[in-house]
Amino acid sequence: MAKNFIDLEELLERTENDRELMRELLSIFKEEFPQRHQALREAVKSLNATQVVMEAHALKGMLSNLAAVEAATAVAEMEDLGRKNETSKFLESFSRFEAIAKELSRQVEACMAEVSG
Amino acid sequence: MRILIADDELMSRRLLEKTMQRAGYEVTAVANGRLAAAELCKSERPRLALLDWIMPELDGPGVCREVRKRKDQSYVYMILLTSKEKKEDVVAGLESGADDYLTKPFDPEELKARLRTGKRILDLEDRLIEAREEMRFQATHDALTSLWNRGVIMELLGRELTRARRENKCTAILLGDLDHFKNINDTYGHLAGDEVLKETARRLVSSVRSYDFVGRFGGEEFLVTLNNCDPAFGLARAEKIRQTIAERPVETSAGSVPISMSFGLLLSQEWGYLSVVELLHEVDTALYAAKAAGRNCVRLAAPKVQTEGARELAPEPVWRRR
Repeated sequence: MAKNFIDLEELLERTENDRELMRELLSIFKEEFPQRHQALREAVKSLNATQVVMEAHALKGMLSNLAAVEAATAVAEMEDLGRKNETSKFLESFSRFEAIAKELSRQVEACMAEVSG
Repeated sequence: MRILIADDELMSRRLLEKTMQRAGYEVTAVANGRLAAAELCKSERPRLALLDWIMPELDGPGVCREVRKRKDQSYVYMILLTSKEKKEDVVAGLESGADDYLTKPFDPEELKARLRTGKRILDLEDRLIEAREEMRFQATHDALTSLWNRGVIMELLGRELTRARRENKCTAILLGDLDHFKNINDTYGHLAGDEVLKETARRLVSSVRSYDFVGRFGGEEFLVTLNNCDPAFGLARAEKIRQTIAERPVETSAGSVPISMSFGLLLSQEWGYLSVVELLHEVDTALYAAKAAGRNCVRLAAPKVQTEGARELAPEPVWRRR
């Protein structure tokens, strides 16, 4: 069984049990995440530390709000690497994040179905 | 109460917006620091603000600095939202002018509690401002009639005369004294006397324009300045004011009290560069002439008929009598 990357209990607490708001947040995430993810991928590819910091920071905010702690931690590590200009570690760190992100996207879909239902 | 939320990240902004609305706040949400600073510097601005630290165009601490530069406006309580937890970051944030900070992702209950602290501080500021305004009013107004007090009305007269001379305009100075006020006090009592003074003040204010000045000069004496007054109508306007005072008795708790007022009038243009004190001496002389003429009338202080003999007949000026 896949690990849960979204802490639903935490998310419900943060939204004060407002399922409608939860659905709205998931929907915003679903729409915005792929663009941000792609922007980070490009920043990593071009070894642009400043851009990595910016994109990783934005993603960290989104993931934290979604109570996706593990993904937020992974992307925070990338932000940190960017700040230290440790470009050689970008790819390895990004691969870890991508593995989480793939499963996370699937779980967001499942969550949306659950909240909407 | 209104609150500003500034966060470039849509999910975060929406979450904050909804949490605040649920807590009863009226929310304005913006997506960058520049818009936040503009919003917080408006005259009708929210007085609570939640600012994300990292934002495009202007970051949260930058917004705090912009707002704190404006010393003339009422206090805005600002909370920085940050994922920065290092001590030096927190210090930098608070030194930019933020009142508090909260680490993201925020806990709704903690956020609301911190905002309640902000509201308490804003309420305290409101009470202090109210007290200051009350003290300012007391320092500049007569306690009984709420008219300008003697010090202020003389200062206003001085300023008005300077302006009138600069612009070659005329200021009409009216010094009025309630007739037989001692008798009113003796017959109806001092409480009724106070009621008469209050009603006289009200009638004087109602009979002049909003940009004229009315002050209580002494016990039952009132000073009125008719600013930018056409000299040709000065006497007629003074006469109209006299009629307004005397047109009906004052209804007091001790009964109906008929009142009238005698006035000295001076048109500044006719007097050249005399000081405020000298002009007040002249208008007081005219007031004395009105009393001598049988009261309930206006007498104009006229430079041409001012003789040494007339001055000798005049009593001590009112400001020397006190």
